[in-house]
Amino acid sequence: MKRDSHRWKWILVSPALVVLILAASGPLLIVAVYSVLSPGNMGGVSWDFSTEAWFRVFFKRDIFDPENVTLNADHLAVFQRTLWLSFQTTVICAALGFPTAWFIATRPVNRRMIWLFLITVPFWTNLLIRTFAIQELIRNSGTLNTALLWLGLIDKPLELMYTDFAVLLGMSYVFLPLMVLPLYAAMDKLDFRLVEAGYDLYASRMQVLWHVILPLVKPGFIAGSILVFIPSIGAYVTPRVLGGGRTMMLGNLIGLQFGQGRNWPLGSALAMVLLVIVVAALVFYLRITTRETGGRDGQS
Amino acid sequence: MVADGAQQSGNEIEIQAVSKVFGQGATAFHALTGIDLTIRTGEFFTLLGPSGCGKTTLLRVIAGFEHPSSGQLRIKGQDVVGQAPNRRMVNTVFQSYALFPHMTVAQNIGFGLKMLGRPRSEIETTTAEMMRLVKMEAMASRKPAELSGGQQQRVALARALAPRPRVLLLDEPLSALDLKLRKEMQTELKRLQVETGITFVFVTHDQEEALTMSDRLAVMSKGRILQLGSPHDIYHAPTERFVADFIGETNFLSLKVITVQGRGADLALPGGRIVPARIAEGVTPAVSEAVSAVIRPEQAQLVEAGTGDLLATVTGAVFFGTDTHIHLTLEDGQAFTVRRQNTIGQADPETGARVGLSLMPGALQVLRGS
Repeated sequence: MKRDSHRWKWILVSPALVVLILAASGPLLIVAVYSVLSPGNMGGVSWDFSTEAWFRVFFKRDIFDPENVTLNADHLAVFQRTLWLSFQTTVICAALGFPTAWFIATRPVNRRMIWLFLITVPFWTNLLIRTFAIQELIRNSGTLNTALLWLGLIDKPLELMYTDFAVLLGMSYVFLPLMVLPLYAAMDKLDFRLVEAGYDLYASRMQVLWHVILPLVKPGFIAGSILVFIPSIGAYVTPRVLGGGRTMMLGNLIGLQFGQGRNWPLGSALAMVLLVIVVAALVFYLRITTRETGGRDGQS
Repeated sequence: MVADGAQQSGNEIEIQAVSKVFGQGATAFHALTGIDLTIRTGEFFTLLGPSGCGKTTLLRVIAGFEHPSSGQLRIKGQDVVGQAPNRRMVNTVFQSYALFPHMTVAQNIGFGLKMLGRPRSEIETTTAEMMRLVKMEAMASRKPAELSGGQQQRVALARALAPRPRVLLLDEPLSALDLKLRKEMQTELKRLQVETGITFVFVTHDQEEALTMSDRLAVMSKGRILQLGSPHDIYHAPTERFVADFIGETNFLSLKVITVQGRGADLALPGGRIVPARIAEGVTPAVSEAVSAVIRPEQAQLVEAGTGDLLATVTGAVFFGTDTHIHLTLEDGQAFTVRRQNTIGQADPETGARVGLSLMPGALQVLRGS
């Protein structure tokens, strides 16, 4: 009887296991294996074991003197830019998302759905199209520059395209709803009588925000930051369209290896590095954000 | 910070013609209408009324969470209309307690002082003192979620008392507690009020709570104050039918006025006997007019049929332990209830029995309206 129910359990969870193994772990495994093989002549891989790809992630060899090894500054710059832009995107989304979510959470209950619905409207249009729309806004003869020139505020167009600023603008726009929604969910659960209690006990508006509201909506910030930061690190379309070749992010560098670069092992190794960065960032973030509240929920 | 000139007057809170309207036009809700009220320094004042009568709105106006649509509000002689809650030396004990879930008991209690920018040493001593006052010393590092309802109540009280406010507002703080704990906290609250000397403004819908704890109370209905006075006045000399009905149990009688002299009148009882009655303030009954008069069930006594003031028929008796309620019908068909203190071996009168009824002299009171 007990064995029987045990067997049934495995049969019932088998679809989930198949999906996990084939769809999630399988491709990851392939990437991991490819990263220790040699590049094929016309793309693809040849089945010879090699750590060259991993070596090339961090170092580069002189073309004429392979023994002359230097740090791969280009790659490190891409890593650094990726982390920095993702961090900035998270901060911008949090700064813009908090008042937005607060606005929605303080509307009458029957109107909140309308505002939430409006927040999700951008998801209806293809990401690529929306990114090109931003390009239209900020390019040299785009809407913004035309307007500023017409107003006489500038003499020549602002060079906004293909800069870190353009990438940051695009990513913040794309990922903002991912910050607003979990923040709203946290604020929706907030007991507004606690805000009144704060005012009653002589807290100013800023003090109520700092001592009462922020600690209570922190779970929303944590969830929102993870939802924004992780896809930012792996962003491909936005930096490709708005950043061009000049402000490349890790996702573009990986894409390059599988395309023009014809170096699949290097692309795979870079993808594994991306994975490690994401996991490290996640662990680090959860560490610092749960430290003060540690033990509050009795979980460890 | 506060003008001390008003100290001599002994008035903590002066409310003049305060009205509060929510919404506009046809859907407007008049939560408060023309409230005039003076609360004295150091008294235990209660706002009593059924839910929706405006008592909580009035409390929120005093706290500063709501601003009056019109009228004046002064605390210690200082006009506070438009002043934010965090600038008023007034603290609230919320019905839901509203303890900060992310802070410990000690942090909750010290919050007000911290926001006032008091030095850490003072915050620590006062917090410890407050925890001793409400007997919560052992719970200092617990979170509110780890406390029982009664303990949360004590913390909420300590938190509101810690900054030594001029006025403590209490919004039905005992309504979530069970009966035994509620009785305990009633005594506790009264003790704290006497010990601290802080003016308490207490909101409740529980008439017994209001009578036992208050120095003075105001009975509210539909956004107005119907009657203001000591528990004694309110119980024994209600001016309106609503007040008489809301507080305790009452017999309402429709009686004819025979003569009126000053604040007294002679009324004709069913059966013809003429008895004196008091007249509620602001009432001017006309001779030979039928008025509404009240008398409490314990202010009448059963006597031999044919003696006393009235003749009645017993319709039933309900045993309450300490006393028995005997339901009667008078000769003209009006209902009447007598409360009789129980003694051992006393038999309840049988249903259908004819009994006499003797009214306590001066107990009848003529009400406003009819």
